[in-house]
Amino acid sequence: MKQSISQIKSSLQKKEISVEELHDEFFKIAKSNINNSYNLILDKEHNKSFITESQKRYDNSKPLPLDGIPLGIKDLFCTKGIRTTASSKILSNFIPNYESFVTQQLLKDGSIFLGKNNCDEFAMGSSNETSHFGPVVNPWKNKNEPDNNLVPGGSSGGSAAAVAEGSCVASMGTDTGGSIRQPASLCGIVGLKPTFGSCSRWGIVAFASSLDQAGPLTNCVEDAAHILNSISKFDFNDSTSSNHTRDDYVSELNQKTDQKIKIGIPSDYLQGVSKDILNQIENTKKVLSKNNIEFLDVKFSTTEYALSTYYILAPAEASSNLARYDGIRYGVREKGENLDDIYLNSRTEGFGDEVTRRILIGAYVLSAGYYDAYYRQAQKVRRLIKNDFQRIFEEVDFILTPTTPNEAFKIGDKLDPISMYKNDIYTVPTSLAGLPGISIPSGLSSNGLPLGIQFIGNYFQEKKLLQIAALAEKELAFNE
Amino acid sequence: MVIGLEVHAQLKTSSKLFSSSPNQFGSDPNENVNFIDSGMPGMLPVLNFGCIEKAIKTGFALNFTINKHSVFERKNYFYPDLPQGYQISQFEFPILTEGFINIESGQNQKKIRIERAHLEQDAGKSIHDIDPKYSFIDLNRVGTPLLEIVSYPDLKSADEVVSYMSSLRQVLMYIDVCDGNMQEGSLRADVNLSIRKPGGELGTRCEIKNLNSFKFIRQAIEYEFQRQIEVIESGGVIEQNTMLFDTSSGETRAMRSKEFSHDYRYFPDPDLLPVNITQEQIDKIQHTVGELPSQKLERYINELKIEKDIAKIIIAEKENTDVFEKIHNETEVPPKLIASWLVGDIFAFIKENNLDVLSLLNKTKAIGELLKLILDDIISNKIGKEILPRVLNDQGSPSEIVKEMDLEQVSDSGELEKIIDDALKGEEDNISKYQGGSDRVLGYFVGKCIKATKGKGNPKLINKLLLKKLQK
Amino acid sequence: MSDIDIKRISYLAKLKLPEEKEEFYANSLKEIIKWVDNLKKIDTKEVKPLHNVTEKTESIRNDEVYKNNSVEEILDNAPERAQNFFKVPKVVE
Ligand SMILES: [Mg+2]
Ligand SMILES: [Zn+2]
Repeated sequence: MKQSISQIKSSLQKKEISVEELHDEFFKIAKSNINNSYNLILDKEHNKSFITESQKRYDNSKPLPLDGIPLGIKDLFCTKGIRTTASSKILSNFIPNYESFVTQQLLKDGSIFLGKNNCDEFAMGSSNETSHFGPVVNPWKNKNEPDNNLVPGGSSGGSAAAVAEGSCVASMGTDTGGSIRQPASLCGIVGLKPTFGSCSRWGIVAFASSLDQAGPLTNCVEDAAHILNSISKFDFNDSTSSNHTRDDYVSELNQKTDQKIKIGIPSDYLQGVSKDILNQIENTKKVLSKNNIEFLDVKFSTTEYALSTYYILAPAEASSNLARYDGIRYGVREKGENLDDIYLNSRTEGFGDEVTRRILIGAYVLSAGYYDAYYRQAQKVRRLIKNDFQRIFEEVDFILTPTTPNEAFKIGDKLDPISMYKNDIYTVPTSLAGLPGISIPSGLSSNGLPLGIQFIGNYFQEKKLLQIAALAEKELAFNE
Repeated sequence: MVIGLEVHAQLKTSSKLFSSSPNQFGSDPNENVNFIDSGMPGMLPVLNFGCIEKAIKTGFALNFTINKHSVFERKNYFYPDLPQGYQISQFEFPILTEGFINIESGQNQKKIRIERAHLEQDAGKSIHDIDPKYSFIDLNRVGTPLLEIVSYPDLKSADEVVSYMSSLRQVLMYIDVCDGNMQEGSLRADVNLSIRKPGGELGTRCEIKNLNSFKFIRQAIEYEFQRQIEVIESGGVIEQNTMLFDTSSGETRAMRSKEFSHDYRYFPDPDLLPVNITQEQIDKIQHTVGELPSQKLERYINELKIEKDIAKIIIAEKENTDVFEKIHNETEVPPKLIASWLVGDIFAFIKENNLDVLSLLNKTKAIGELLKLILDDIISNKIGKEILPRVLNDQGSPSEIVKEMDLEQVSDSGELEKIIDDALKGEEDNISKYQGGSDRVLGYFVGKCIKATKGKGNPKLINKLLLKKLQK
Repeated sequence: MSDIDIKRISYLAKLKLPEEKEEFYANSLKEIIKWVDNLKKIDTKEVKPLHNVTEKTESIRNDEVYKNNSVEEILDNAPERAQNFFKVPKVVE
């Protein structure tokens, strides 16, 4: 079984391994990049001074919280002096002169970046097939069709695959409608999307500003807590950043409460799902029931509208957020006779099909004559969805759902966008409401592929959310 | 002719609307640009409260309703000067609505209603005249805060437009919201003009963009007015168009027609949250508004007893009043005397020497002292005028100059009597003329005496003493 | 739902779709718009739009200048530049 951050730190402290050896161990796997989970792998030379400094701190017995821990970073975080592409052709030569807030925190806490993880282009996708750098391959194989390459999920597919293949201890992802939780589920790892406003969006290539949220993909819940401790901070430079006091997410992770915990299961989520998926929920109920936990049936009134709402709002914001990519100030400029040609050619050549599609949807729903019917209506329904969750959180402490409606599928299998979009059916409502959600692996499908369950908590209740996830993780014993 | 104006006023802040890079004119290319301004990926805006303050001040000065809740939205369009691909502006919920300003129209006052004023970002600048094939982009101006003030179509002539624009400029400069420098683009106007036959229906309007001088505004309106008349009279129709004014030819022309009409797809900027202002904040800002031009004029006339025409000249520019009020606060000279000197010899001096009125601000003590010397009869008015250039050229304090040049007024009766006696010697003819009723002679004698004192004799005293002597 | 004018939308988005792809995108868009059309049946007359789940911001700054980047850092990713300007083919008004 893979080692946790705490275990690795303890080995480093005890000198059972050096920071350099640790780095090399992961670097070797990353370098082979067999699953195409990296767009860029930083050579050792780049990290030399980080490794030395980290080792010094261990030698002085003053290690930082994430000292020496090799991390992958989704190629959506701007990293100073390191190429940042958002897996798009249009940014394929972009080297930022600034470091995103979140990666700044991770560096400050001593972690070492191995490289930039592949992802869907501008984080638009649920299978990591929209990347300019090619699809990422899920390290897991269908035991009945072992030759087929499966998708890792998306958009943080490279991050999920990297953690699952063991090329980094953890990876930073971003989640707009499920982009952390869904790939985590399909790759058999843990993925946490914090409450909107927990982690600064400053320096993250924007997809949909009102939904984007950074979060960790890890081997275990405790690792997610470690990373969250580092990245969840108020940032004045993000006007949507929340200024509440953060908990220490690690220290009381395994503490049990005497209070009865109420978990709601939305039965409408489970209608028509496969036996495999249903089993995950049933099994979770079973293993948790010996604890002081009560399961309740809860009913949402907005579930059927969530995806529609999301696929209006996210493209609308994206169409505007991606207007800055024009080949004028940075990025790839295509040839053109005049300025307008440069714009048109750079954008048309620079964006892939899915990004183009979403930009078009976005421009359409915002355009004169359609704004009220689509965009404004979706904003209103978004409030109804939020209210729906708030009503349910008056009755229960957590909501339990499957993370995805299906296991990992074959690369190239889902060509129709709508059936692809439906992958996010369980993660999107949470994103619209801005609530925290965590996916943990819960078992295997009949094809031997990992499946995940999602716990949803109330606003800024990450501490409790991690506690219940850690408990479920222990009881489900997926990793053992 | 029916005209509505959209005036863009650059706000006089230290930093930009959503980034903390400097809001400064005339810097080297791209010197005042940070990653937010250049639209780098992942960069986020943070609102500058200074801009809210300036907007609220304007709200008070132009009689607006100040909205406690306002929302920044994105106006989406592509242009190389617009790095984000959208301009952050206010649309559905602007910070100011329904204001007005009184302007002079001929001999009358006219109230011009203002529909709204909203905050938005300025764009960068493209330079087209360096190279025949390329344009060069300077993003320094990107993100500079603008207040766009949108009038109702209440204006009926070029004169009224100019009057409106200059009143607006005056107010904005008074409340220190805008530096009013039209040449540098701190204040620009878009003119929406349409024509209507008497009793007829209002025609289609054309918008002439970005006029940055009173002269151009006037020329553009006159040209466009004629153009529209000619189109109509030759049986044509006015197309709704965005026009540019060619400053060299004095003509307006339509911008390259677009295949499709604009559709800005406004929507609330998801990177920003609504602006909510409290009553306390508004009250605090109200205290900083200060006196408006109209209020100042009234006070100058009624309280300070300055003649209306002179008062008007002073209040025309905020800087004049700054100088005037500084002198007034520093000395006990009657305001009327200060005002007439300022508008007369002092401004003449400024003009002749091509100086900035504000340069007087560190000469107000000297000016006050000079006026006090005159008031106290230490020097004559005439000497005062003579030494004014030296005072304004910093060649010593007035009293020093007076002492040094021995210009103090002779007000010693004994000394003056002697001079008068001397002057009257051999003037028997004139004396009898005076005594015969010719007042003119008196002036002659006064002049002679003053000449004898080399201009330093106190004319009032000489007059008095002369009268006494001549009556004997 | 009215017909989708793909030419106009791509014009607004500054995209030049190749002829053969216009229909592909038009159909795709049509399908997606039809799919999201279910929102229209919800009565939202009394509902206020929700733009962001964070409804209050802490980030309003004082009017102070702070800048710690160089001009070079602004320009070094530029595809074309002339001294310290970005360079583009002439804009025709
Ligand atoms: Mg305009
Ligand atoms: Zn404007």
